[in-house]
Amino acid sequence: MRIVGPKNIKPDSAFVEEIARRSGENVFLCYQCRKCASGCPSRMFMDSTPTELMRYVQLGMADEAMKGNTVWFCLSCQTCSVRCPQDIDIAHVVDTIRIIVQEKKIKADTKNERLFNWLWMRMLKYMGRMYEVGLTGMLNLFTGRPFKDLPLGIKMIKKGKLRLLPSIRRPFATMKMFSRANRLKK
Amino acid sequence: MKIAYYPGCSLHSTGVEYDISTRKVCDAMGIELAEVKDWICCGSTPAHRCDDLMSLALPAKNLALAVQTDNLKEVCAPCASCYSRLKFTQERMTNENLKRNVEQIIGSEYPEDVKVLHMLDVIVEKIGTDAVKEKVVKSLNGIKVACYYGCLMTRPPKVTGRQRFENPTDMESVMEALGAEAIDWNMKTFCCGASFALTQTDVVLELTRKILADADSAGAQVISVGCPLCHANLDDRQKQINENFNTNFKIPIFYFTELMGLALGIEAKDLGIFRHLTEVKDFLKERALA
Repeated sequence: MRIVGPKNIKPDSAFVEEIARRSGENVFLCYQCRKCASGCPSRMFMDSTPTELMRYVQLGMADEAMKGNTVWFCLSCQTCSVRCPQDIDIAHVVDTIRIIVQEKKIKADTKNERLFNWLWMRMLKYMGRMYEVGLTGMLNLFTGRPFKDLPLGIKMIKKGKLRLLPSIRRPFATMKMFSRANRLKK
Repeated sequence: MKIAYYPGCSLHSTGVEYDISTRKVCDAMGIELAEVKDWICCGSTPAHRCDDLMSLALPAKNLALAVQTDNLKEVCAPCASCYSRLKFTQERMTNENLKRNVEQIIGSEYPEDVKVLHMLDVIVEKIGTDAVKEKVVKSLNGIKVACYYGCLMTRPPKVTGRQRFENPTDMESVMEALGAEAIDWNMKTFCCGASFALTQTDVVLELTRKILADADSAGAQVISVGCPLCHANLDDRQKQINENFNTNFKIPIFYFTELMGLALGIEAKDLGIFRHLTEVKDFLKERALA
């Protein structure tokens, strides 16, 4: 745990209000019991634990909450939300932070997750269904490791577990849905 | 009995044997699956990580399409992630404002009274384990099975409505009905890393290693799963785990529908079992199951 002195805290009450409003969760109920951190399967990879993240949110410490890798290591496994004695849906709070980071294009340690999400949503928009070979290929290409998982991929293709060609369904329907959603958000 | 069937993207690619075995088992148990016409991706985890509104609109669209399929009021989603997204959408649609926005996006009415079931629910709730037991022709002969649920089949209970979300037992009851021995172990609902498989493979390998190690030390001979992502991580990456951590796991990973199919007397090759990457042929031959 990092000890933060009063000089280092630049509280931003707009940040905590935005999180609370958009997630619909009462983040102020957290009393730091650490059940979320104890159960989190991904905590050993994170800069700060989910418990610390909740404190950063409460204190309005936007930079600490948004720029670290903590939210990007969240697997959305829901363990924290289920075990919280104050019934805060912590995974939803994490999702909300992630979405804000992506919307505001904040520079953060996103572990390629932002790219992955972006590629996924693009494929979905134009094809209607997921195209794993294309997704993996593009992700590996953009992250500069084009041959990652190639032997595994070849094995899976041989076993008939990967489709080489995309199955495109109702692309105009999904494109229309995305553009309607964009209009609603404005 | 006729149920709308939403296979999802994984069951058409990496989890194709789950699709095959589900159809075979339902056929044998007298359930007619009507595939949702022109279904689209549910958005899965990436959608709710970057776009709240679309992460609800995509499943809502599929629910609307499901109702249009022969006017069925029950949808079966074998993939835990699809199941979770459909259920989450139903929970969030109680908010009238959100519902209005989603209806605008999908361009049709959001269907209220649809029941979303995981494939395991169809077996346990709709058919019942007694009926399964009656149909068993080839008992699994006390194979020691570790039933692995992963995250989204049971969590969060406010969405899935399950009583036993930390220690579920539905799959165990099915396995016992098939003549297998369901073992007691710790990692039933531990996360396998799921969607990090492509972006942060190290995390997945570490988490999956823990699951395999616990199942192994509890004496499991096979692991039974109900999610294509769990299967991909435990089965396809098992060799990678052995190489990375100097371990020697040789645990076949089966979808629970595959084990059901075997016990119901369906040939292993017709269930798609030989598509697994971890060796299963010898294991099944030793036990006269293939």
